[in-house]
Amino acid sequence: MISPPLAGERSTIVSHPILELRHISKSFGMTAAMADVSIAILPGQVHAIVGENGAGKSTLIKILTGVHQPDEGEMLVDGKQMQIRSTEDAQKHGIAAIFQEPMVFPDLDVAENIFISHHNLGLVMNWATQYQHANEIIARLGITLDPRRLANGLTLAEQQTVEIARALSLNVRALIMDEPTASLSAHEVDRLVQIVEALKMRGVAVIYISHRLEEIFRIADTVTVMRDGKHISTKPISQVTQQGMVRDMVGRSINHFSMKVAANAHGEKILSVRNLTRDGVFSDVSFDLHIGEVLCFAGLIGSRRTDVGLALFGVEPATSGYIEVARQPVTIDSPQSALKYLIAYVSEDRRKFGLALNMPIFANISLPSLKKLLRLFGLIDRKAEIAMAESHRERLSIRTPNVTIDVGKLSGGNQQKVMLAKWLETEPRILIFDEPTRGIDIGAKTEVHNIIRELAIRGVAIIVISSDLPEVLMLADRVLVMREGRQMGIFDISEATQENIMALATGQTAAMSQ
Amino acid sequence: MNVLLRNFHPQTLRVITLAVVLLLVIVFFVSQIDNYFSPRTLNRIASSAAVILPIAIGQAIVVMTRNIDLSVGSLVGITAYVTGDILAYAPFGPFLTLFIALSIGALCGAFNGVLVAYGRVPSIIVTLGTLALFRTFLVEYSEARTITTDSLPKWVVELPQTTLFSVGVLEVRVMVIVALVAALIFSLALWKLRAARKFYAVGSNPDAAIMAGINSERVVFTAFVLSGMLAGLAGLIFLARFGNITVVAGLGFELKSIAAVVVGGVNIFGGSGTILGVVLGTLLVDTIDNSLIRWAIVSEFWREALLGILIMTAVAVDTFMARSYVQLRKLVA
Repeated sequence: MISPPLAGERSTIVSHPILELRHISKSFGMTAAMADVSIAILPGQVHAIVGENGAGKSTLIKILTGVHQPDEGEMLVDGKQMQIRSTEDAQKHGIAAIFQEPMVFPDLDVAENIFISHHNLGLVMNWATQYQHANEIIARLGITLDPRRLANGLTLAEQQTVEIARALSLNVRALIMDEPTASLSAHEVDRLVQIVEALKMRGVAVIYISHRLEEIFRIADTVTVMRDGKHISTKPISQVTQQGMVRDMVGRSINHFSMKVAANAHGEKILSVRNLTRDGVFSDVSFDLHIGEVLCFAGLIGSRRTDVGLALFGVEPATSGYIEVARQPVTIDSPQSALKYLIAYVSEDRRKFGLALNMPIFANISLPSLKKLLRLFGLIDRKAEIAMAESHRERLSIRTPNVTIDVGKLSGGNQQKVMLAKWLETEPRILIFDEPTRGIDIGAKTEVHNIIRELAIRGVAIIVISSDLPEVLMLADRVLVMREGRQMGIFDISEATQENIMALATGQTAAMSQ
Repeated sequence: MNVLLRNFHPQTLRVITLAVVLLLVIVFFVSQIDNYFSPRTLNRIASSAAVILPIAIGQAIVVMTRNIDLSVGSLVGITAYVTGDILAYAPFGPFLTLFIALSIGALCGAFNGVLVAYGRVPSIIVTLGTLALFRTFLVEYSEARTITTDSLPKWVVELPQTTLFSVGVLEVRVMVIVALVAALIFSLALWKLRAARKFYAVGSNPDAAIMAGINSERVVFTAFVLSGMLAGLAGLIFLARFGNITVVAGLGFELKSIAAVVVGGVNIFGGSGTILGVVLGTLLVDTIDNSLIRWAIVSEFWREALLGILIMTAVAVDTFMARSYVQLRKLVA
């Protein structure tokens, strides 16, 4: 039968760490994802790990959970050297992780979701006791949740709770939380903070990864900053200031943020959208876009920003609303029609929508523009095709020995540039970027930002969908904030701050719009 | 309403709907066919369902894990034929024979399972391959001979007529009971056995299953072994029911079993389904199948087409209901 899993009594102050990394390094091909990182995780403490995208945080998580093995260095669990070869291994050592996108089983109920990882509960299920034990664990987190409900109907926050309960039931001692609040409302964040407090009380070490600095000051005991795969600093929260933390994260005294050029004079209105709606997905999105302007769509995951982008590109057309391109009313019901009005869309999902990874660079770039290359009898001029690719390679500094190698062999940042080249070749008037810098390193990120600004200066009207707030603040001339399929407001960049964008995106103060 | 919906499992709704549809279909045929509601009709439907039910149970387990087993028809053919052939030389008793049939099925299922789970070849390809492979093996093995009733032990020949008990005019045959017992065992196992819950978990969210430390490969492999074993059981029932086995035995059973499974409410994308639903699905499929033969207005050649339509309708209804369920949930919450 199920023995109620206990996470130990309230912790006394224990000085030795549960988990220790010593001089860990990990490379993928030529890029060093982590270089000589040493961190100690103490029980009953929240250890925040911060850093920009590409700083090595996800590699760290993957090493801790046994997904990747370090190339060098050693890991200690309870002071003993251990190797963590798999998720199961990590679980055995009491290490668990929860992610931004919860990993639940939609067809199973809450109780089963909690106990699914238990391999020693006996052959036969006793549903009644399982519900009872689920209730106990849920109560331990200080929340209410019916263990009989299917995970399918739960909100993201509730699913996350289920995952935390699962970890707790497994006697978790070190819980990694990767951006747990990225998609939560303010109220849900409060509740999560309570849960984290409850975990601390039970002596669980929480490794907390978040971009929201206020949150870190609220719950962390220790902060480690990483940058470019290196360990920059580890300090108790009392000795950290927000500015200091940002400086450590960015490295070069915030010049990354200040490189924003003054908003260039906008030209004519090129795109006008009124009450754009896709039933059941988003509704009443209205905005204007001018030549040379960068409009950023900000919001949390699930705010349906991407769906608006897909509607404007005709992949998932809007069901109602009004679109005007260059003062002509238009109907966009397919990517073909969008391309006709010179609208292009650079997808967030490079693998799925953007690139044919097993085709050479030049073929990927020429794909939407093949018409230009047609010669006698409809044959493709291969020389011109390669020349086309070469010109983009130079202009966007795509780092590759030649343009005939497969796109799949390039790094993320260079793949992104190939995708950009592909759409630039169609000479768009309106260019929609969806998460243009997700998962690419800082160097490439800055390059992509420069390209976007340059395109705007040259008269392309640009929409950037981004979850990266510093990026939004740096690129945008105006910011449109969405939440759960609704437009919450539009800011001019001079009025936009991280705080007021987040407030609208999380619905903290609906009154702040206008 | 709120509380009701919160605790109402979508599968419950599914089973109730299915029972109603089955009833309506029966009422329809009663009104269309003279003397429909006779013991003969019922026995025919029951014997036919007794062959399909074990296959459908195995198919259901495989489908729950987000896979499919197209080889079950050929597997029924192999077990029916090879078991019959063995019995012709060595007239074993029922239990040893059952063991042989289950082993042959499990062995073939393991072959599918290894390729799908460990070889990482999509199940639709593996079992499409073995569908042809197993059938060809049977053709070669049989050398165009036919197993006949004369060569079989007496207990096998008499099995289809053996009645365990009677309810009024309705005689309940041993074969039907065997199939129902199989259903009961698997129904209980899927509900009560902790290990069996992994079939649902793997199909519901494969990534989460790996993160939860579940050995997905082993779970998928086991599903295919069980599917093979149950097809083996069906093969034995098939052998007893018909006595004369040719190389075309079990042809097209994959279609019938998939129809029974999806009509029975097993989600074709994995993760959910009940054996009770599969039993009702099998009954519905076999009721329609066996009644069409006697329905004058429609040619019996439409039987397969109807199965096809049934599969498509069931999956379409499923998708629609799943969407409505989530939306309804949102409204209530």
